[in-house]
Amino acid sequence: MAQTRSPSPASRHGAAHASPAVIGAGTRIRGRLTGDGDVTILGHLEGGVQVRGELFIGEGGRVVSDVDAGALRVAGVLEGDVSVTGDIAMLAGARVRGDLHGAHVSLEEGADFEGRLDCEFDLPSELGTAATTTHARSARR
Amino acid sequence: MASTVIGAGITIEGEVSADDEIVVQGTIRGKLEAREGVTVEAGGVVEADIVSGPLTVAGSITGNITSSDRVDLQSGARVVGNVKATRITIADGAQFKGNVDMDV
Amino acid sequence: MALLTVIGRGVRIRGRVTGEADLTIEGHVEGEVAVSGDVTIEAGGLVGANVSGRVIVVRGAVRGDLTGEELVRLEEGSRVVGDLRAPRIDIAKGGLVRGLVQTSGSVGAARPAARARADAPAIRRAPAPAAARPAPAPAPAPVRAAPAPTKAAATVARPTPAAAPARHAAKGPPPPVVPALKKGAKAALKKKAT
Repeated sequence: MAQTRSPSPASRHGAAHASPAVIGAGTRIRGRLTGDGDVTILGHLEGGVQVRGELFIGEGGRVVSDVDAGALRVAGVLEGDVSVTGDIAMLAGARVRGDLHGAHVSLEEGADFEGRLDCEFDLPSELGTAATTTHARSARR
Repeated sequence: MASTVIGAGITIEGEVSADDEIVVQGTIRGKLEAREGVTVEAGGVVEADIVSGPLTVAGSITGNITSSDRVDLQSGARVVGNVKATRITIADGAQFKGNVDMDV
Repeated sequence: MALLTVIGRGVRIRGRVTGEADLTIEGHVEGEVAVSGDVTIEAGGLVGANVSGRVIVVRGAVRGDLTGEELVRLEEGSRVVGDLRAPRIDIAKGGLVRGLVQTSGSVGAARPAARARADAPAIRRAPAPAAARPAPAPAPAPVRAAPAPTKAAATVARPTPAAAPARHAAKGPPPPVVPALKKGAKAALKKKAT
């Protein structure tokens, strides 16, 4: 179904079960990209990304935008805040700047990352409440 | 339970409490409580009051010792402080300054 | 070869742990941990402290910042609330973290003294800025007059009576080193001028 639609992956709609969209290495997009399935970016995208499936930023790919996705794998460059319902994986060679929010985050040795990681979990009760940390951190800064 | 070894390169300043045995090769300053037992090896330095089970010293202790069991000062040990224990031995070559109370 | 220290499962420490050695924590440490060797926080280990070392591996739970001279690795089952700083950071999928993460040479920015003086554990810097600062800092710091010369290998020169307030001071994370040293330097220069 998806193959007969417009070749521009950015305008795909409702093709969750079709082959994933690929933004090729030579493509530059300025604008929002939304996708119901998986999206692979090997080129350059600036604007906004909203992907229901997995967003994969390949080596050489560059995304400057906030990302809202089901899952995220980065081997290229990502600058922006990320909100993901599933897993985030930063692979060796990735360069990521931004705050990431996801269920699980993995960061391979060799990945370059600066930003916040926010996973949902609780520490054992012996280590006290959040108030301690906040106080400690603000004193540090 | 695994025993705890405070190695020669380590300094702890604060309170240490242990459910298992502690071997001190480094330095502890503050307070030490080890119900099972304490061994201060040669080179080990404890500047703290100690509450323990059996205590064996070949290093240096400055502080009061309250042991529920025996206290053994080996040759080379240097202890300054009061000792309360059920039994005490001070080997030839050990240095000790303080009171001994064996009334448990 | 750095010597190994094991803080066993039944041990609880409230205070500062410093030194030139490798450290394995299976018990509970609250306060501050700063060693020149590797720090391994085993599954079941609980650390409520900032930790600095060469290679830091976490399998347990940490509330505090982890600063590695070489590497910080969070393995499956680890839980960390705090910032991670190291040239290389490895977070396994089962590792959970909430905080700032900085790879890429930011170690220098966070703790410049730790990088500049690889032989002296970072914690030695901590009391020094407190001494250089004016009144607000807690009491134990006055013992230390000059931060730089005190690079003693394993022990920190502090009188025992100060141990209690020292703990409280150590619980508050050390302020950034560089600005504090600069303040002290300025005060020293002013004194010399007058």
